[in-house]
Amino acid sequence: MYLKTLHLRHFRNYREQQVEFLAPKTILVGENAQGKSNLLEAVELLATLRSHRALRDRELVLDNAQAGQIAAQLERDSGTVDLAITLRSNSRRTVSLNGETLKRQLDFLGIMNAVQFSSLDLDLVRGSPSERRNWLDTLLTQLEPVYAYILQQYNTVLRQRNALLKQQRSPHETWRVAEAAHPPDSTQLAIWDAQLAAIGCRVIRRRARVIERLAPLAQHWHQAISGSRELLEVRYAPNVQLGEDDPLLVQQAFLEKLQMRAIAEQHQGTTLVGPHRDEVEFTINQTPARQYGSQGQQRTLVLALKLAELKLIEAIVGEPPLLLLDDVLAELDLNRQNKLLDTIQDRFQTLITTTHLGSFDAQWLKSSQILTVEAGQISM
Amino acid sequence: MPGVGPKTAQRLALHILKRPEADVQALAQALLEAKQQVGFCSICFHLSAEPVCEICRASNRDPHTICVVADSRDVIALERTREYEGKYHVLGGLISPMDGMGPDQLNITQLVRRVNKQDIKEVIMAISPSVEGETTTLYVGQLLKPFTKVTRIAFGLPMGGDLEYADEVTLARAMEGRRELE
Ligand SMILES: Nc1ncnc2c1ncn2[C@@H]1O[C@H](COP(=O)(O)OP(=O)(O)OP(=O)(O)O)[C@@H](O)[C@H]1O
Ligand SMILES: [Mg+2]
Ligand SMILES: [Zn+2]
Repeated sequence: MYLKTLHLRHFRNYREQQVEFLAPKTILVGENAQGKSNLLEAVELLATLRSHRALRDRELVLDNAQAGQIAAQLERDSGTVDLAITLRSNSRRTVSLNGETLKRQLDFLGIMNAVQFSSLDLDLVRGSPSERRNWLDTLLTQLEPVYAYILQQYNTVLRQRNALLKQQRSPHETWRVAEAAHPPDSTQLAIWDAQLAAIGCRVIRRRARVIERLAPLAQHWHQAISGSRELLEVRYAPNVQLGEDDPLLVQQAFLEKLQMRAIAEQHQGTTLVGPHRDEVEFTINQTPARQYGSQGQQRTLVLALKLAELKLIEAIVGEPPLLLLDDVLAELDLNRQNKLLDTIQDRFQTLITTTHLGSFDAQWLKSSQILTVEAGQISM
Repeated sequence: MPGVGPKTAQRLALHILKRPEADVQALAQALLEAKQQVGFCSICFHLSAEPVCEICRASNRDPHTICVVADSRDVIALERTREYEGKYHVLGGLISPMDGMGPDQLNITQLVRRVNKQDIKEVIMAISPSVEGETTTLYVGQLLKPFTKVTRIAFGLPMGGDLEYADEVTLARAMEGRRELE
Protein backbone atom coordinates (compact mmCIF):
# COMPACT_ATOMS: atom_id res chain seq x y z
CA MET A 1 0.00 0.00 0.00
CA TYR A 2 1.14 3.51 -0.67
CA LEU A 3 0.33 6.71 1.17
CA LYS A 4 -0.01 9.35 -1.54
CA THR A 5 -0.99 12.42 0.43
CA LEU A 6 -1.43 13.47 3.98
CA HIS A 7 -3.31 16.54 5.09
CA LEU A 8 -3.00 17.85 8.62
CA ARG A 9 -5.23 20.55 9.97
CA HIS A 10 -4.92 21.81 13.54
CA PHE A 11 -3.09 18.62 14.41
CA ARG A 12 -0.37 18.99 17.10
CA ASN A 13 1.81 21.91 15.95
CA TYR A 14 0.51 21.83 12.36
CA ARG A 15 -2.02 24.51 11.37
CA GLU A 16 -2.62 23.44 7.82
CA GLN A 17 -0.24 21.25 5.92
CA GLN A 18 -0.51 19.19 2.79
CA VAL A 19 2.21 16.60 2.13
CA GLU A 20 2.66 14.65 -1.09
CA PHE A 21 4.78 11.54 -0.90
CA LEU A 22 6.69 11.21 -4.15
CA ALA A 23 9.13 8.40 -3.43
CA PRO A 24 8.94 5.10 -1.55
CA LYS A 25 11.22 6.63 1.06
CA THR A 26 10.74 10.01 2.64
CA ILE A 27 13.22 11.55 5.03
CA LEU A 28 11.86 14.25 7.32
CA VAL A 29 14.72 16.35 8.54
CA GLY A 30 14.57 19.15 11.13
CA GLU A 31 15.75 20.40 14.47
CA ASN A 32 14.26 19.11 17.70
CA ALA A 33 10.64 19.89 18.50
CA GLN A 34 9.67 20.97 14.96
CA GLY A 35 6.99 18.36 14.26
CA LYS A 36 8.73 15.36 12.74
CA SER A 37 7.40 12.82 15.21
CA ASN A 38 4.03 14.54 15.13
CA LEU A 39 3.73 13.70 11.46
CA LEU A 40 4.56 10.05 12.05
CA GLU A 41 2.06 10.05 14.89
CA ALA A 42 -0.64 11.15 12.44
CA VAL A 43 0.16 8.15 10.24
CA GLU A 44 0.20 5.86 13.27
CA LEU A 45 -3.28 7.10 14.18
CA LEU A 46 -4.57 6.38 10.69
CA ALA A 47 -3.29 2.83 10.96
CA THR A 48 -4.24 1.95 14.52
CA LEU A 49 -6.47 4.73 15.89
CA ARG A 50 -3.98 4.74 18.74
CA SER A 51 -1.05 6.95 19.55
CA HIS A 52 1.83 5.66 21.64
CA ARG A 53 2.39 9.19 22.95
CA ALA A 54 -1.01 10.72 23.62
CA LEU A 55 -3.45 9.68 26.28
CA ARG A 56 -6.21 12.07 25.24
CA ASP A 57 -7.36 13.49 21.95
CA ARG A 58 -7.11 16.93 23.47
CA GLU A 59 -3.30 16.67 23.32
CA LEU A 60 -3.48 15.94 19.60
CA VAL A 61 -5.45 19.03 18.71
CA LEU A 62 -3.51 22.25 18.08
CA ASP A 63 -3.41 24.26 21.29
CA ASN A 64 -6.50 26.44 21.68
CA ALA A 65 -8.27 24.90 18.69
CA GLN A 66 -11.55 22.98 19.03
CA ALA A 67 -10.86 20.27 16.50
CA GLY A 68 -8.12 18.88 14.37
CA GLN A 69 -8.09 16.68 11.31
CA ILE A 70 -5.88 14.07 9.71
CA ALA A 71 -6.81 13.17 6.16
CA ALA A 72 -5.00 10.85 3.80
CA GLN A 73 -5.20 9.31 0.41
CA LEU A 74 -4.03 5.74 0.37
CA GLU A 75 -3.41 3.55 -2.62
CA ARG A 76 -4.18 -0.10 -2.14
CA ASP A 77 -4.26 -2.95 -4.62
CA SER A 78 -8.02 -2.70 -4.60
CA GLY A 79 -8.04 1.04 -5.37
CA THR A 80 -7.57 4.43 -3.78
CA VAL A 81 -9.24 5.21 -0.47
CA ASP A 82 -9.70 8.46 1.42
CA LEU A 83 -9.28 8.24 5.16
CA ALA A 84 -9.99 10.96 7.68
CA ILE A 85 -9.98 11.31 11.44
CA THR A 86 -11.48 14.31 13.18
CA LEU A 87 -10.16 14.84 16.68
CA ARG A 88 -11.93 17.10 19.14
CA SER A 89 -10.65 18.63 22.33
CA ASN A 90 -14.01 18.30 24.06
CA SER A 91 -15.76 15.33 22.57
CA ARG A 92 -15.37 12.06 20.76
CA ARG A 93 -13.42 11.64 17.59
CA THR A 94 -15.08 10.62 14.37
CA VAL A 95 -13.63 8.71 11.45
CA SER A 96 -14.61 8.63 7.84
CA LEU A 97 -13.89 6.46 4.85
CA ASN A 98 -14.25 7.87 1.34
CA GLY A 99 -16.07 10.86 2.75
CA GLU A 100 -18.59 8.82 4.68
CA THR A 101 -18.61 8.96 8.47
CA LEU A 102 -18.37 5.48 9.95
CA LYS A 103 -20.68 4.41 12.74
CA ARG A 104 -18.20 1.94 14.12
CA GLN A 105 -14.58 2.98 14.48
CA LEU A 106 -13.77 -0.70 14.07
CA ASP A 107 -14.51 -0.40 10.37
CA PHE A 108 -11.69 2.11 10.03
CA LEU A 109 -9.05 -0.31 11.26
CA GLY A 110 -7.09 -2.56 8.98
CA ILE A 111 -7.39 -0.28 5.95
CA MET A 112 -3.99 1.28 6.39
CA ASN A 113 -1.21 -0.74 8.00
CA ALA A 114 1.98 0.60 9.49
CA VAL A 115 4.82 -0.59 11.64
CA GLN A 116 6.23 2.03 13.95
CA PHE A 117 9.83 1.88 15.10
CA SER A 118 11.22 4.51 17.42
CA SER A 119 14.03 4.66 19.93
CA LEU A 120 11.38 4.21 22.60
CA ASP A 121 10.95 0.68 21.31
CA LEU A 122 13.99 -0.42 23.28
CA ASP A 123 11.49 -0.40 26.15
CA LEU A 124 10.01 -3.47 24.50
CA VAL A 125 12.99 -5.35 25.88
CA ARG A 126 13.77 -3.32 28.96
CA GLY A 127 10.38 -2.04 30.05
CA SER A 128 7.54 -3.54 32.02
CA PRO A 129 5.26 -6.31 30.71
CA SER A 130 2.62 -3.72 29.89
CA GLU A 131 4.90 -2.34 27.13
CA ARG A 132 4.98 -5.75 25.51
CA ARG A 133 1.23 -6.29 25.88
CA ASN A 134 0.65 -2.93 24.30
CA TRP A 135 2.90 -3.73 21.38
CA LEU A 136 1.18 -7.06 20.87
CA ASP A 137 -2.27 -5.50 21.06
CA THR A 138 -1.39 -2.81 18.53
CA LEU A 139 -0.13 -5.43 16.10
CA LEU A 140 -3.20 -7.60 16.62
CA THR A 141 -5.52 -4.68 16.05
CA GLN A 142 -4.03 -4.21 12.61
CA LEU A 143 -4.20 -7.87 11.73
CA GLU A 144 -7.64 -8.56 13.16
CA PRO A 145 -9.58 -5.31 13.60
CA VAL A 146 -12.27 -7.07 15.64
CA TYR A 147 -9.59 -7.52 18.29
CA ALA A 148 -9.87 -3.82 19.13
CA TYR A 149 -13.48 -4.46 20.07
CA ILE A 150 -12.69 -7.58 22.08
CA LEU A 151 -9.94 -5.80 23.98
CA GLN A 152 -12.17 -2.87 24.77
CA GLN A 153 -14.82 -5.25 26.06
CA TYR A 154 -12.25 -7.04 28.18
CA ASN A 155 -11.01 -3.82 29.71
CA THR A 156 -14.54 -2.74 30.53
CA VAL A 157 -15.33 -6.03 32.24
CA LEU A 158 -12.05 -5.76 34.11
CA ARG A 159 -12.78 -2.24 35.36
CA GLN A 160 -16.31 -3.21 36.37
CA ARG A 161 -15.15 -6.30 38.17
CA ASN A 162 -12.44 -4.34 39.98
CA ALA A 163 -15.00 -1.77 41.07
CA LEU A 164 -17.23 -4.53 42.44
CA LEU A 165 -14.33 -6.20 44.26
CA LYS A 166 -13.39 -2.86 45.77
CA GLN A 167 -16.94 -2.28 47.00
CA GLN A 168 -17.07 -5.71 48.52
CA ARG A 169 -13.60 -5.59 50.02
CA SER A 170 -13.57 -6.72 53.61
CA PRO A 171 -13.68 -3.47 55.56
CA HIS A 172 -10.43 -2.12 56.90
CA GLU A 173 -9.79 -2.82 60.57
CA THR A 174 -10.35 0.75 61.59
CA TRP A 175 -13.81 0.77 60.04
CA ARG A 176 -16.70 -0.70 61.86
CA VAL A 177 -18.16 -3.78 60.25
CA ALA A 178 -21.56 -2.15 60.14
CA GLU A 179 -20.15 0.37 57.69
CA ALA A 180 -19.49 -2.17 54.97
CA ALA A 181 -22.14 -0.72 52.72
CA HIS A 182 -22.16 -3.56 50.24
CA PRO A 183 -22.53 -7.13 51.40
CA PRO A 184 -20.90 -9.54 48.94
CA ASP A 185 -23.14 -10.21 45.96
CA SER A 186 -21.86 -13.58 44.83
CA THR A 187 -24.41 -13.86 42.02
CA GLN A 188 -23.20 -10.66 40.44
CA LEU A 189 -19.54 -11.54 40.92
CA ALA A 190 -20.06 -14.94 39.32
CA ILE A 191 -21.56 -13.26 36.25
CA TRP A 192 -18.62 -10.86 35.93
CA ASP A 193 -16.30 -13.87 36.35
CA ALA A 194 -17.99 -15.67 33.51
CA GLN A 195 -17.71 -12.63 31.26
CA LEU A 196 -14.09 -12.03 32.20
CA ALA A 197 -13.28 -15.65 31.36
CA ALA A 198 -15.26 -15.72 28.12
CA ILE A 199 -13.84 -12.48 26.72
CA GLY A 200 -10.42 -13.02 28.30
CA CYS A 201 -10.21 -16.35 26.53
CA ARG A 202 -10.70 -14.64 23.18
CA VAL A 203 -7.87 -12.23 24.00
CA ILE A 204 -5.54 -15.03 25.09
CA ARG A 205 -6.16 -17.22 22.06
CA ARG A 206 -5.59 -14.38 19.64
CA ARG A 207 -2.40 -13.31 21.36
CA ALA A 208 -1.11 -16.88 21.32
CA ARG A 209 -1.93 -17.20 17.64
CA VAL A 210 -0.08 -14.06 16.59
CA ILE A 211 3.03 -14.88 18.65
CA GLU A 212 3.11 -18.31 17.12
CA ARG A 213 3.34 -16.77 13.67
CA LEU A 214 5.65 -13.94 14.64
CA ALA A 215 8.23 -15.95 16.59
CA PRO A 216 9.84 -17.83 13.69
CA LEU A 217 10.01 -14.63 11.61
CA ALA A 218 11.70 -12.76 14.46
CA GLN A 219 14.11 -15.63 14.94
CA HIS A 220 15.00 -15.58 11.28
CA TRP A 221 15.66 -11.84 11.24
CA HIS A 222 17.60 -11.88 14.44
CA GLN A 223 19.89 -14.46 12.98
CA ALA A 224 20.25 -12.59 9.74
CA ILE A 225 21.20 -9.34 11.48
CA SER A 226 23.47 -10.79 14.11
CA GLY A 227 25.24 -13.09 11.65
CA SER A 228 23.48 -16.30 12.67
CA ARG A 229 25.25 -16.80 15.96
CA GLU A 230 22.38 -16.09 18.30
CA LEU A 231 19.08 -17.85 18.76
CA LEU A 232 16.17 -15.57 19.59
CA GLU A 233 13.04 -17.07 21.08
CA VAL A 234 9.81 -15.16 21.48
CA ARG A 235 7.44 -16.89 23.84
CA TYR A 236 3.97 -15.98 25.00
CA ALA A 237 3.55 -16.46 28.74
CA PRO A 238 -0.15 -16.03 29.44
CA ASN A 239 -1.33 -15.54 33.01
CA VAL A 240 -3.97 -18.20 32.42
CA GLN A 241 -2.26 -21.22 30.95
CA LEU A 242 -3.32 -22.16 27.48
CA GLY A 243 -3.02 -25.91 27.54
CA GLU A 244 -5.02 -26.98 24.58
CA ASP A 245 -6.36 -24.45 22.19
CA ASP A 246 -9.98 -25.17 23.03
CA PRO A 247 -12.00 -22.13 24.07
CA LEU A 248 -14.03 -24.09 26.61
CA LEU A 249 -10.98 -25.56 28.29
CA VAL A 250 -9.28 -22.19 28.44
CA GLN A 251 -12.39 -20.65 30.00
CA GLN A 252 -12.53 -23.44 32.50
CA ALA A 253 -8.87 -22.98 33.44
CA PHE A 254 -9.56 -19.26 33.76
CA LEU A 255 -12.48 -19.80 36.14
CA GLU A 256 -10.50 -22.31 38.19
CA LYS A 257 -7.65 -19.87 38.61
CA LEU A 258 -10.12 -17.15 39.64
CA GLN A 259 -11.44 -19.52 42.26
CA MET A 260 -7.94 -20.18 43.52
CA ARG A 261 -7.14 -16.50 43.84
CA ALA A 262 -10.56 -15.51 45.21
CA ILE A 263 -9.38 -14.70 48.71
CA ALA A 264 -6.41 -12.69 47.53
CA GLU A 265 -8.67 -10.80 45.13
CA GLN A 266 -11.16 -9.99 47.87
CA HIS A 267 -8.37 -8.82 50.07
CA GLN A 268 -6.71 -6.62 47.46
CA GLY A 269 -9.95 -5.51 45.83
CA THR A 270 -8.60 -6.09 42.34
CA THR A 271 -8.55 -8.74 39.62
CA LEU A 272 -5.41 -10.86 39.78
CA VAL A 273 -6.17 -13.31 36.99
CA GLY A 274 -6.36 -12.71 33.27
CA PRO A 275 -4.61 -11.46 30.14
CA HIS A 276 -4.03 -8.03 31.67
CA ARG A 277 -1.23 -9.86 33.46
CA ASP A 278 0.24 -11.62 30.43
CA GLU A 279 3.90 -11.47 29.53
CA VAL A 280 5.89 -11.95 26.35
CA GLU A 281 9.34 -13.34 26.94
CA PHE A 282 12.37 -12.73 24.76
CA THR A 283 15.35 -14.97 25.24
CA ILE A 284 18.65 -15.01 23.35
CA ASN A 285 20.46 -18.32 23.60
CA GLN A 286 18.09 -19.15 26.42
CA THR A 287 19.03 -16.16 28.52
CA PRO A 288 16.37 -13.49 29.12
CA ALA A 289 17.20 -10.69 26.72
CA ARG A 290 16.68 -8.06 29.38
CA GLN A 291 19.60 -9.43 31.34
CA TYR A 292 21.60 -10.49 28.36
CA GLY A 293 22.15 -7.28 27.23
CA SER A 294 24.38 -5.04 25.49
CA GLN A 295 22.46 -2.19 23.94
CA GLY A 296 23.56 -3.45 20.56
CA GLN A 297 21.99 -6.84 21.13
CA GLN A 298 18.79 -5.33 22.40
CA ARG A 299 18.67 -3.09 19.34
CA THR A 300 19.17 -6.09 17.12
CA LEU A 301 16.30 -7.80 18.87
CA VAL A 302 13.94 -4.88 18.45
CA LEU A 303 14.92 -4.48 14.81
CA ALA A 304 14.29 -8.18 14.27
CA LEU A 305 10.85 -7.84 15.89
CA LYS A 306 9.98 -4.89 13.67
CA LEU A 307 11.08 -6.67 10.51
CA ALA A 308 9.04 -9.67 11.62
CA GLU A 309 6.03 -7.41 12.09
CA LEU A 310 6.46 -6.01 8.59
CA LYS A 311 6.62 -9.47 7.07
CA LEU A 312 3.75 -10.81 9.13
CA ILE A 313 1.45 -7.94 8.20
CA GLU A 314 2.46 -8.30 4.58
CA ALA A 315 1.74 -12.04 4.67
CA ILE A 316 -1.64 -11.69 6.35
CA VAL A 317 -2.91 -8.50 4.74
CA GLY A 318 -1.44 -9.33 1.37
CA GLU A 319 0.14 -5.90 0.88
CA PRO A 320 3.30 -4.39 2.33
CA PRO A 321 2.58 -2.03 5.24
CA LEU A 322 4.22 1.33 5.79
CA LEU A 323 7.29 1.58 7.96
CA LEU A 324 7.73 4.55 10.29
CA LEU A 325 11.25 5.06 11.56
CA ASP A 326 11.36 7.72 14.23
CA ASP A 327 14.95 8.74 14.99
CA VAL A 328 16.15 5.15 15.03
CA LEU A 329 18.04 4.91 11.80
CA ALA A 330 20.93 7.05 12.96
CA GLU A 331 21.23 4.84 16.02
CA LEU A 332 21.84 1.72 13.97
CA ASP A 333 25.33 0.89 12.80
CA LEU A 334 26.00 0.61 9.09
CA ASN A 335 25.62 -3.17 9.08
CA ARG A 336 22.13 -2.97 10.58
CA GLN A 337 21.18 0.01 8.43
CA ASN A 338 22.04 -2.06 5.38
CA LYS A 339 20.10 -5.09 6.59
CA LEU A 340 17.12 -2.88 7.00
CA LEU A 341 17.64 -1.29 3.61
CA ASP A 342 17.94 -4.69 1.93
CA THR A 343 14.72 -5.81 3.48
CA ILE A 344 12.55 -2.88 2.71
CA GLN A 345 13.95 -2.08 -0.72
CA ASP A 346 11.27 -0.12 -2.47
CA ARG A 347 8.49 -2.42 -1.43
CA PHE A 348 7.74 -0.95 1.98
CA GLN A 349 6.98 2.74 1.89
CA THR A 350 9.10 4.23 4.64
CA LEU A 351 8.93 7.54 6.51
CA ILE A 352 12.11 8.41 8.35
CA THR A 353 12.79 11.27 10.77
CA THR A 354 16.19 12.65 11.62
CA THR A 355 17.86 15.78 12.95
CA HIS A 356 20.71 15.58 10.48
CA LEU A 357 21.31 13.79 7.23
CA GLY A 358 24.98 13.15 8.00
CA SER A 359 24.55 9.75 9.54
CA PHE A 360 22.78 8.25 6.56
CA ASP A 361 24.17 5.85 4.10
CA ALA A 362 24.55 7.50 0.72
CA GLN A 363 22.24 4.86 -0.79
CA TRP A 364 19.42 5.91 1.46
CA LEU A 365 19.79 9.56 0.55
CA LYS A 366 19.95 8.95 -3.15
CA SER A 367 16.65 7.16 -3.39
CA SER A 368 14.70 9.31 -0.94
CA GLN A 369 12.44 12.30 -1.02
CA ILE A 370 13.81 14.78 1.52
CA LEU A 371 11.42 17.11 3.33
CA THR A 372 12.37 19.81 5.81
CA VAL A 373 10.26 20.26 8.92
CA GLU A 374 10.32 23.58 10.71
CA ALA A 375 7.86 24.80 13.32
CA GLY A 376 4.95 22.81 12.00
CA GLN A 377 5.64 23.59 8.37
CA ILE A 378 6.99 21.29 5.73
CA SER A 379 8.94 22.28 2.68
CA MET A 380 10.64 20.35 -0.08
CA MET B 1 -27.63 18.75 29.27
CA PRO B 2 -26.89 15.39 27.66
CA GLY B 3 -26.06 15.51 23.98
CA VAL B 4 -25.83 19.30 23.85
CA GLY B 5 -22.37 20.72 23.16
CA PRO B 6 -21.27 24.22 24.19
CA LYS B 7 -22.09 25.67 20.76
CA THR B 8 -25.59 24.28 20.62
CA ALA B 9 -26.16 25.35 24.21
CA GLN B 10 -25.17 28.88 23.32
CA ARG B 11 -27.48 28.89 20.30
CA LEU B 12 -30.39 27.63 22.41
CA ALA B 13 -29.74 30.23 25.10
CA LEU B 14 -29.59 33.07 22.57
CA HIS B 15 -32.75 31.84 20.89
CA ILE B 16 -34.64 31.86 24.18
CA LEU B 17 -33.35 35.31 25.10
CA LYS B 18 -34.65 36.71 21.81
CA ARG B 19 -38.20 35.37 22.28
CA PRO B 20 -40.99 37.50 23.77
CA GLU B 21 -41.28 37.19 27.52
CA ALA B 22 -44.66 35.41 27.31
CA ASP B 23 -43.13 32.60 25.25
CA VAL B 24 -40.37 32.10 27.76
CA GLN B 25 -42.92 32.11 30.54
CA ALA B 26 -44.92 29.41 28.76
CA LEU B 27 -41.83 27.29 28.22
CA ALA B 28 -40.82 27.59 31.87
CA GLN B 29 -44.34 26.67 32.92
CA ALA B 30 -44.36 23.66 30.63
CA LEU B 31 -41.03 22.43 32.03
CA LEU B 32 -42.28 22.86 35.57
CA GLU B 33 -45.51 21.01 34.85
CA ALA B 34 -43.66 18.19 33.16
CA LYS B 35 -41.45 17.85 36.19
CA GLN B 36 -44.39 17.93 38.59
CA GLN B 37 -46.73 15.71 36.64
CA VAL B 38 -44.55 13.13 35.01
CA GLY B 39 -43.41 10.43 37.34
CA PHE B 40 -42.93 6.70 37.05
CA CYS B 41 -45.62 4.10 36.56
CA SER B 42 -45.95 2.20 39.82
CA ILE B 43 -46.08 -1.13 38.01
CA CYS B 44 -43.57 -0.96 35.16
CA PHE B 45 -41.59 2.22 35.96
CA HIS B 46 -42.09 3.69 32.51
CA LEU B 47 -42.47 7.48 32.49
CA SER B 48 -46.09 8.33 33.14
CA ALA B 49 -48.28 11.26 34.16
CA GLU B 50 -50.68 8.86 35.87
CA PRO B 51 -49.86 6.49 38.74
CA VAL B 52 -50.30 3.61 36.29
CA CYS B 53 -49.15 4.13 32.70
CA GLU B 54 -51.20 3.75 29.55
CA ILE B 55 -49.49 0.51 28.54
CA CYS B 56 -50.13 -1.14 31.91
CA ARG B 57 -53.76 0.00 31.79
CA ALA B 58 -54.38 -1.17 28.22
CA SER B 59 -56.70 -4.18 28.29
CA ASN B 60 -55.90 -5.25 24.73
CA ARG B 61 -52.26 -5.99 25.54
CA ASP B 62 -51.02 -9.42 26.54
CA PRO B 63 -50.65 -9.37 30.33
CA HIS B 64 -48.66 -12.63 30.41
CA THR B 65 -45.58 -11.29 28.65
CA ILE B 66 -43.16 -8.74 30.08
CA CYS B 67 -40.42 -7.12 28.08
CA VAL B 68 -37.58 -5.90 30.30
CA VAL B 69 -35.66 -2.81 29.17
CA ALA B 70 -33.06 -0.53 30.73
CA ASP B 71 -34.70 2.77 30.06
CA SER B 72 -37.98 4.47 29.13
CA ARG B 73 -36.39 5.45 25.83
CA ASP B 74 -36.22 1.76 24.96
CA VAL B 75 -39.95 1.40 25.55
CA ILE B 76 -40.53 4.23 23.11
CA ALA B 77 -38.19 2.65 20.54
CA LEU B 78 -39.89 -0.74 20.82
CA GLU B 79 -43.36 0.80 20.65
CA ARG B 80 -42.43 2.42 17.35
CA THR B 81 -41.96 -1.04 15.83
CA ARG B 82 -45.65 -1.88 16.62
CA GLU B 83 -44.41 -5.46 16.81
CA TYR B 84 -44.77 -6.08 20.51
CA GLU B 85 -48.08 -6.48 22.27
CA GLY B 86 -47.17 -7.38 25.82
CA LYS B 87 -46.24 -5.30 28.86
CA TYR B 88 -42.93 -3.76 29.90
CA HIS B 89 -40.70 -3.40 32.88
CA VAL B 90 -38.17 -0.56 33.01
CA LEU B 91 -35.11 -1.32 35.14
CA GLY B 92 -33.93 2.27 35.29
CA GLY B 93 -30.37 1.55 34.18
CA LEU B 94 -27.85 -1.26 34.00
CA ILE B 95 -25.66 -2.98 36.55
CA SER B 96 -22.43 -1.00 36.55
CA PRO B 97 -20.25 -1.15 39.68
CA MET B 98 -18.07 1.67 38.33
CA ASP B 99 -21.05 4.00 38.44
CA GLY B 100 -22.21 2.66 41.78
CA MET B 101 -25.14 0.90 40.09
CA GLY B 102 -25.89 -2.44 41.68
CA PRO B 103 -29.05 -4.57 41.52
CA ASP B 104 -30.42 -2.62 44.50
CA GLN B 105 -30.33 0.61 42.54
CA LEU B 106 -32.48 -0.89 39.79
CA ASN B 107 -36.14 -1.94 39.76
CA ILE B 108 -35.22 -5.61 39.90
CA THR B 109 -36.90 -6.67 43.14
CA GLN B 110 -40.13 -5.14 41.86
CA LEU B 111 -39.81 -7.18 38.68
CA VAL B 112 -39.25 -10.43 40.57
CA ARG B 113 -42.28 -9.70 42.74
CA ARG B 114 -44.35 -8.94 39.68
CA VAL B 115 -43.39 -12.19 37.97
CA ASN B 116 -43.89 -14.11 41.19
CA LYS B 117 -47.37 -12.76 41.82
CA GLN B 118 -48.82 -12.74 38.35
CA ASP B 119 -49.26 -15.40 35.75
CA ILE B 120 -46.33 -14.54 33.48
CA LYS B 121 -45.60 -16.90 30.60
CA GLU B 122 -42.52 -15.18 29.20
CA VAL B 123 -40.07 -12.47 30.17
CA ILE B 124 -38.19 -11.01 27.23
CA MET B 125 -34.89 -9.36 28.02
CA ALA B 126 -34.36 -6.51 25.54
CA ILE B 127 -31.14 -4.98 26.75
CA SER B 128 -28.22 -3.68 24.71
CA PRO B 129 -25.33 -6.13 24.28
CA SER B 130 -22.71 -4.06 26.11
CA VAL B 131 -20.87 -5.85 28.91
CA GLU B 132 -23.06 -4.04 31.44
CA GLY B 133 -26.15 -5.04 29.47
CA GLU B 134 -24.98 -8.62 29.33
CA THR B 135 -24.40 -8.75 33.08
CA THR B 136 -27.81 -7.24 33.74
CA THR B 137 -29.52 -9.69 31.39
CA LEU B 138 -27.81 -12.68 33.00
CA TYR B 139 -28.45 -11.41 36.51
CA VAL B 140 -32.15 -10.78 36.00
CA GLY B 141 -32.40 -14.03 34.05
CA GLN B 142 -31.03 -16.03 36.97
CA LEU B 143 -33.50 -14.50 39.39
CA LEU B 144 -36.49 -15.10 37.12
CA LYS B 145 -35.76 -18.53 35.75
CA PRO B 146 -37.38 -20.38 38.70
CA PHE B 147 -40.67 -18.62 37.89
CA THR B 148 -41.01 -18.37 34.15
CA LYS B 149 -39.50 -18.71 30.71
CA VAL B 150 -36.86 -16.04 30.06
CA THR B 151 -35.80 -15.14 26.53
CA ARG B 152 -33.57 -12.47 25.09
CA ILE B 153 -33.90 -10.61 21.86
CA ALA B 154 -31.47 -11.51 19.11
CA PHE B 155 -28.82 -8.90 18.62
CA GLY B 156 -27.70 -8.20 15.14
CA LEU B 157 -27.55 -4.67 16.41
CA PRO B 158 -24.60 -2.37 15.79
CA MET B 159 -21.76 -3.18 18.11
CA GLY B 160 -22.06 -1.38 21.38
CA GLY B 161 -25.27 0.01 19.96
CA ASP B 162 -28.20 1.19 21.98
CA LEU B 163 -31.73 0.08 21.36
CA GLU B 164 -32.56 3.72 20.94
CA TYR B 165 -30.43 3.97 17.81
CA ALA B 166 -31.41 0.69 16.23
CA ASP B 167 -33.74 1.19 13.31
CA GLU B 168 -37.24 -0.16 13.54
CA VAL B 169 -36.75 -3.03 11.12
CA THR B 170 -33.69 -4.29 13.01
CA LEU B 171 -35.50 -4.05 16.31
CA ALA B 172 -38.57 -5.85 15.03
CA ARG B 173 -36.38 -8.62 13.64
CA ALA B 174 -34.48 -8.84 16.92
CA MET B 175 -37.78 -9.27 18.72
CA GLU B 176 -38.90 -12.05 16.40
CA GLY B 177 -35.61 -13.91 16.59
CA ARG B 178 -35.45 -14.04 20.36
CA ARG B 179 -34.12 -17.17 22.03
CA GLU B 180 -34.26 -18.69 25.45
CA LEU B 181 -31.66 -17.61 27.98
CA GLU B 182 -29.26 -20.42 28.90
N1 LIG C 1 -1.40 20.09 20.68
C1 LIG C 1 -0.33 20.80 20.31
N2 LIG C 1 -0.47 22.08 19.87
C2 LIG C 1 0.61 22.80 19.49
N3 LIG C 1 1.87 22.33 19.53
C3 LIG C 1 2.08 21.09 19.96
C4 LIG C 1 1.00 20.26 20.37
N4 LIG C 1 1.48 19.06 20.74
C5 LIG C 1 2.82 19.15 20.58
N5 LIG C 1 3.18 20.36 20.11
C6 LIG C 1 4.53 20.82 19.82
O1 LIG C 1 5.14 19.97 18.88
C7 LIG C 1 6.52 19.95 19.11
C8 LIG C 1 7.04 18.56 19.19
O2 LIG C 1 7.00 18.02 17.94
P1 LIG C 1 7.64 16.61 17.64
O3 LIG C 1 7.50 15.70 18.77
O4 LIG C 1 7.11 16.19 16.32
O5 LIG C 1 9.18 17.01 17.55
P2 LIG C 1 10.30 16.39 16.63
O6 LIG C 1 10.42 17.24 15.42
O7 LIG C 1 10.04 14.96 16.44
O8 LIG C 1 11.54 16.64 17.56
P3 LIG C 1 12.67 15.64 18.09
O9 LIG C 1 13.74 15.71 17.09
O10 LIG C 1 13.05 16.26 19.37
O11 LIG C 1 12.07 14.29 18.25
C9 LIG C 1 6.78 20.68 20.40
O12 LIG C 1 7.27 21.96 20.10
C10 LIG C 1 5.43 20.75 21.03
O13 LIG C 1 5.28 21.90 21.82
MG1 LIG D 1 10.74 13.26 17.47
ZN1 LIG E 1 -46.68 0.85 33.45
